[in-house]
Amino acid sequence: MTDLTLLDIPRLLGYQFFQYALIGGMVAALACSLVGLFLILRKEAMIGDGIAHTAFGGIAIGLYLGIYPLVTALVVSVVSVLAISYMRKKGLAQSDSAIAVVLALGFSTGLIIISLADGFNVELFSYLFGSILTIDSSDLLVVAALGIISITFIGLFNKELLSITFDEDASRLMGIPVGPLSTAFNILVAVTIVLSIKVIGIILVTALLVLPGLTALQLDLSFRYTSVSSVCFGIASVVIGIMFSAIYDVATAGVIVFTSVGLFLFVAIYRRLE
Amino acid sequence: MKEKIIEVRDLNVNRSGTVVIKDANFSVEKGDFIGVVGPNGGGKTTLLLSLLGTIPKASGTIKLFGQNIDSFNEWERVAYVSQNAINFDEHFPMSVRELVALGRANRSNLGRRLNKEDWEAVDESMEFMGLTAIANKRVGNLSGGQKQRVFVAKALVRNPEVIFLDEPTAGVDASTQERFYQKLSDLNARKGTTILIVSHDLAVVFCRMSKVICVSRDVNISSITGEVDPNDILRPAYGEHFHFVFHKHECQGVFDDD
Repeated sequence: MTDLTLLDIPRLLGYQFFQYALIGGMVAALACSLVGLFLILRKEAMIGDGIAHTAFGGIAIGLYLGIYPLVTALVVSVVSVLAISYMRKKGLAQSDSAIAVVLALGFSTGLIIISLADGFNVELFSYLFGSILTIDSSDLLVVAALGIISITFIGLFNKELLSITFDEDASRLMGIPVGPLSTAFNILVAVTIVLSIKVIGIILVTALLVLPGLTALQLDLSFRYTSVSSVCFGIASVVIGIMFSAIYDVATAGVIVFTSVGLFLFVAIYRRLE
Repeated sequence: MKEKIIEVRDLNVNRSGTVVIKDANFSVEKGDFIGVVGPNGGGKTTLLLSLLGTIPKASGTIKLFGQNIDSFNEWERVAYVSQNAINFDEHFPMSVRELVALGRANRSNLGRRLNKEDWEAVDESMEFMGLTAIANKRVGNLSGGQKQRVFVAKALVRNPEVIFLDEPTAGVDASTQERFYQKLSDLNARKGTTILIVSHDLAVVFCRMSKVICVSRDVNISSITGEVDPNDILRPAYGEHFHFVFHKHECQGVFDDD
């Protein structure tokens, strides 16, 4: 426990580490809640979990080879996404089975590398569970760049993604390039997960992808307002998580997930009492 | 001579190794309002989806607007309302206006926001289908008939020259069906839109439509005129003991808005 209280937040906002944490966290929350909403509606939330686990292998490779781990995580995640798409397309496995195979392979890669190398357990721990309060300017740059890619893609292809999510066959008949856009979207999921690793860590990233969208969906709004609500719930969870963890010195990722679940339950109960 | 919208020659379609459509030959002309009828499992949906190129043909040729279906790319001229429309996931977060607007997405405006002209078309299409008052309602909260009108509005917002509908009134009550078919008749009469509609309701087909395609592995197209007994058209598909009691004058009673 620290000696800080909630009244110290204005003072914390003056510190660079806290500003970096908030900016990085909000970018990740924005990207995750937008991408996550599509994942929920496509009934593919588990692909997020699968890719996050393969990213673990990528992080381990980066640490072992001395390459910036988020770069190797990004490469491994994108390759995993393409492998899942290929397995589905060629009928090698159903969607969930393909995810299970790639997840296991990626995670095993990480385990083997850890057992081969000693000495990066502490650093690996920060990728597994996030370390937003220790984010530096180069990390922030990577998070911001990947965030801009995710948010721009969703912004540009919003109507096409919604159309494909809603009715793939009808979208194909309307001349929308369903295959390339679906693959691009899955790559975007990988990008979003990698940019969120510093914020919430590999293990809990699915929560940030899924919970804001699930909470927003309970409000029975139009797609536009569901997206806006999802972003608000995502950002609120991350900001509250960062503030509480800075003040009470508890794991940020844990508080973010607790806040997300709290918001989800609050909205669920409120809707049922209405 | 009217423009040929669809031309089918020697079409054979197989599904899971079984012949579903056998040696089909027919043409659809501009402005035709066609009912596609036949017994369950006779191949109506298969025929419709083959015409759209989503089910591969075993042999023969299909031309849409004079182009071979395999290389056809003018999809903005075509609209399709699937059988699934009525099974809309009620939790899907979408307003009527948003769903109708999705119909404006196509290859040419990929990655661009809808413009003023698109939104005007959305409003016009909603008005035509009587949806303006519920434009901001969630589709999941609508009745079956309203949902169906939303899906047709989504198809019409593209100003298609031909529209394919697969059992659009399944699960919809009789009076809603009447209003729905009235809208389609208006569309056909006012804009000259060619319509192909899979329907089990033979009375609707023979009252409202100009031609009928009977599908039961064999495919036969006939014009609907007062002189022809519907049973002569239907028996090859439904069997020789089939008897459909129909009098043209009854249409006036069935459809008061005629």
